[in-house]
Amino acid sequence: MDAQLQVITFLRLVMITLVPYVLAAQGTMLGGRTGVFSVAQEGIMLVAASVGFLAAYYLGGLLYGVLAAMLVGGIVGLLLAYFTTTLKMDQFVIGLALFFATAGFSSLAYKVAIGVTLIPPLIPTLPDVPLPVLSQLPLVGDIFFRHNVFVYLAIVLSLVLYVLLYRTGIGLELRAVGESPLAADSLGVNVTLMRYVTTVVGGMLMGLAGVYLPMAYTGTFTEDIVRGRGWLSIALTFFGGWNPHFILLGAFFFAGVEVLAFRAQVTNVGIPYQFLLMLPYLATILVMIPGFRWARVPAFLGRNYDREKRAQV
Amino acid sequence: MTAPLVEMRHIHKRFGDVVALEDVHFELQAGEIHGLLGGNGAGKTTLMNILYGLYTADRGEIHVRGQRVLIHSPRDALHLGIGMVHQHFLQVAPFTVVENIALGTLPRLGGKKHVRAAADRIQALAQQFGLAVDPHAVVEDLPVGVRQRVEILKALYRGADVLILDEPTTNLTPQEVDALFQSLRAMVAQGLSVIFITHKIREVMAVCDRVTVLREGRNVFTRSRAETREEDLVRGMVGEQLDVQHSFLFSGRPQETEHTAGAPLIQVHDLTVLGDNNVPAVQGCTFTVREGEILGIAGVAGNGQTELAEALMGIRPIAQGEVTINGYRVRVGSTRHLLARDVAYIPEDRLEDGYLPAASVAHNLILGYHRRPPYSRGSFLDWPAVFQAAWRLIKEYNIRTAGPTEIAANLSGGNIQRLMLARAFAHPFRVLIAHNPTRGLDIPSTEFVYRKLLEARARGAAILLISEDLDELLLLCDRIGTLYRGQLMGILDRPAFDKYRIGEMMAGVAATQA
Amino acid sequence: MVVTQASPPRLSRWLMAALPYVAAVVISFLAAGVFIAVMGFNVLRAYETILFTSFRTPNGFIQTLLKFVPLTLQALAFTVPLAAGKFNIGGEGQMIVGAIGATAVGILFAGAPGVLLLPSVLLASVLAGALWAAIPGWLLYRFGINEILSTVLMNFVSFQLINYVATEIWPDPAAGHPTTVPIGEGALLPLLIRRPPLHLGFLLTIVVAVLVYIYVTRTVYGYELVATGANPRAAQVYGIPVQVLSVLALVLGGAMAGLAGGVEVAGIHRRLIEGLQSNYLTLGILAGLIAKGRVVAVPFVAFFLSVLEVGASAMQRTMMIPGEMVIIVEAFIVLFILLSEVIRRR
Repeated sequence: MDAQLQVITFLRLVMITLVPYVLAAQGTMLGGRTGVFSVAQEGIMLVAASVGFLAAYYLGGLLYGVLAAMLVGGIVGLLLAYFTTTLKMDQFVIGLALFFATAGFSSLAYKVAIGVTLIPPLIPTLPDVPLPVLSQLPLVGDIFFRHNVFVYLAIVLSLVLYVLLYRTGIGLELRAVGESPLAADSLGVNVTLMRYVTTVVGGMLMGLAGVYLPMAYTGTFTEDIVRGRGWLSIALTFFGGWNPHFILLGAFFFAGVEVLAFRAQVTNVGIPYQFLLMLPYLATILVMIPGFRWARVPAFLGRNYDREKRAQV
Repeated sequence: MTAPLVEMRHIHKRFGDVVALEDVHFELQAGEIHGLLGGNGAGKTTLMNILYGLYTADRGEIHVRGQRVLIHSPRDALHLGIGMVHQHFLQVAPFTVVENIALGTLPRLGGKKHVRAAADRIQALAQQFGLAVDPHAVVEDLPVGVRQRVEILKALYRGADVLILDEPTTNLTPQEVDALFQSLRAMVAQGLSVIFITHKIREVMAVCDRVTVLREGRNVFTRSRAETREEDLVRGMVGEQLDVQHSFLFSGRPQETEHTAGAPLIQVHDLTVLGDNNVPAVQGCTFTVREGEILGIAGVAGNGQTELAEALMGIRPIAQGEVTINGYRVRVGSTRHLLARDVAYIPEDRLEDGYLPAASVAHNLILGYHRRPPYSRGSFLDWPAVFQAAWRLIKEYNIRTAGPTEIAANLSGGNIQRLMLARAFAHPFRVLIAHNPTRGLDIPSTEFVYRKLLEARARGAAILLISEDLDELLLLCDRIGTLYRGQLMGILDRPAFDKYRIGEMMAGVAATQA
Repeated sequence: MVVTQASPPRLSRWLMAALPYVAAVVISFLAAGVFIAVMGFNVLRAYETILFTSFRTPNGFIQTLLKFVPLTLQALAFTVPLAAGKFNIGGEGQMIVGAIGATAVGILFAGAPGVLLLPSVLLASVLAGALWAAIPGWLLYRFGINEILSTVLMNFVSFQLINYVATEIWPDPAAGHPTTVPIGEGALLPLLIRRPPLHLGFLLTIVVAVLVYIYVTRTVYGYELVATGANPRAAQVYGIPVQVLSVLALVLGGAMAGLAGGVEVAGIHRRLIEGLQSNYLTLGILAGLIAKGRVVAVPFVAFFLSVLEVGASAMQRTMMIPGEMVIIVEAFIVLFILLSEVIRRR
């Protein structure tokens, strides 16, 4: 392979690989911006991958799988919102409980529906949709504009979220809820509704991130399909400073490391492959060192708002 | 008189087991400044939070302009023209002034041009009422006085004609208080009506047309100022709870004969401390507190008081200079050694800095003293001894709890405050560093603290009293120093105490220039 | 303000405390029963299998105790840091690394006598687990990095590490699965009961649990741990070195998770096998959450979950109901117990 082709292939793979990171991290960011900190990403991605795969397999269409994944992600988001925002229970404990429940449910659902088989059932993977005109551009066309729809979705979504958050009245209200819900509430902003909407939509995005894995990579569901991408997306959210645009940029790094690790494995660089496979996690731990320093975390992140609570003190 | 602008009838409210308001009435006439007077825990803020829709009353009705109304949220209150300025400003710190003020009024999907329009309106309002602000400044960078203007503008921006101000003079210099009172009169002249929540009788007499007094969640009386004497207000606020004749709070510190200060116990030399943003919050402070002396530190909140207290207690690093307390050279991490050397600390925010909600009452009572006998021997805790002490303190300080094993989170606010007082005063101290020790206390507890401080002084303790309540300092201190932007503007002796002079120092005029 | 309503008498308070647990278990089982019925299985038989497999045969009971050992250690590895307000989700990696440490010593000094080798093997597992947890602890202390993230990421690193050790360093070519050669005879844990075999690790676990209980509830260090968890800011203001304590709690948790790995190697597998950590982390965290972080309750909850676990694998074997069912039930128990807290607050 000549160098130019190598670079194009690498960048193409990065574009494909960044999708689940972007989707899950934007979902995390969205909930976090109103104060709800989910730690159930890994579980939601698993259950969405499983249920989404099953829906696509049995109903015979990827769109069904996508819808099912969004539905199940939204349901888990709704549960998280209910337990934290309405019942005011500890966000980390609820997040962990939901993580275990969803992770358990993902393999349960698969085993009940499919059972143990020698040859796994397959669904078709997502087709590439070259964009008219743009995909004809030299270099850039191949790298950016010949991808499945999820790639475009991840990019567009990030830009839309940026505009929504920083250029609209509703974005201002949303950010206010995550900084000072009492201030927002005292000016008539519906704090509860905001937290519910962002957590449910956030769950849907994590669901999309999960179902992307069988649809883009493997064509089937396995129990280790997510491999920590849910947890990594939390790190990405911090790395991106809880800003949609920086999350998108940071995702290039996360995806780049993942692609690098796999390519190095294939090309046999003399390092045992196990150490290459550690790379994404070690790199993430390393970038969290500056990441946690510069991230300006929403002030109310991880806490629950109770309008009348102050009175007891 | 015409029908009242606002009328609240038979208001009941409880939080858990605690009755906050019982059958309370309140009415506001158009064009008046109506004082709502009472000690902490009297229910003033709760009543007004109900009017503003932040709390929901358990029973009772609200009438506005003669109409019965249901107020479920601040949104409803704002629609009725009711705005409220809370004591703790409800602001989004990293947002700009215009973002804070216009929050919730901008079109959902509207963009920058609406923000610009809002900024123009804010400028106009600011000029009309003499409340100068820069709409594009970030709120967390602004001094407290300006943040209060932002808070008032928030209400005016929404067209409020009823303005509720909750303890608005907290953290203002005496000069700023005068200016605020002038603005209030200007607002009333322009057709607004004001509800003025306070626990200071002097303020009622200075600015209010009428006053309603609350005590323990009940009405005491409502009268016009013209026919009210200060003594009536004192008696109304405290009821039979307190012997007013012998109260420091209402009759002042007794004159003592000869006062001889002893050996220096707190020595601070050229102290510089960095704030959270790594900018010096305390700069070049030098002072000494001797045996049998109370040194007060005055200043508007946020001028380095917290950093000063924390550096002295070894909680925050000392960037430069020397601190010696009770013969011990303080460094960051010295806290436990200081506590072991009979240095006591009452932190500013007792709920954040002193209270363990998820642990038991007993755990709370021994925090900081847990390594001392009788509570522990060597590495092991002596729980029977801890429980014994805990039962004693529970009785002595009248803490309502099922016992030492109850989880502290179950306690009511007043009981938590008494728990904190019990811990602070149960263990004898030679040196006390107290930061706003009476904030949030009801009148008897405040009186109790004052008594304890003066007792400790009499037996030779050295006390550094950092307070944002100037009246408290004037009452208790032998000397008062004033902090402004982390610098000590000068220390005045008791004969030289003058409220307005200290006020000037709080605003940055050094003692020599004043 | 006036306080009304006295607190209820003692006995009914005990009942009130027990009620939510019973209710949570019953409701979770009912919910699972509905699900099992919908899948078309015999609900009663499933319940019976889950609850009574442990008690029907000596073998079943010993199986339960053998699960109890790593599960309790994992639960403590989660609970002790939780007392200080820190979430250790890295027990899996700490157990794996502990197992690697134990195996390394057990293979390298295979010829050493048991009196020396066994303690060294266990000590190696404890140190390795502690070290693995010290990394997130240091990152937390030095850079303020969220420990949930760093501990969990360390798990994924350890998966590769165990694979490397079992396939590259001391591989057993005869095994079809990444496995090392056996450790020395002297490294094996003596048996408490011969048939069915129960190793000394059971006793060791009980001792560890008792020591942890004493540490947390009876010593000033335990007091400081609890104060840190209750309000780290207040603890710091009153002279407790909270940052050091948080790191220490994580390291202590890592040590116990590491010991779990060592015990599995020295007591069960006698070698390093990829996947030996099983799902003990999940079970341990669930046990810690169900115990609501109370150290005294942890061994009992861990025993209950061991019963369910043995029952679940029997159910999977005999009735073909996937064992994950039980994890979901346990997660529901956590939710319902927390829910009862909310109800009581009202």
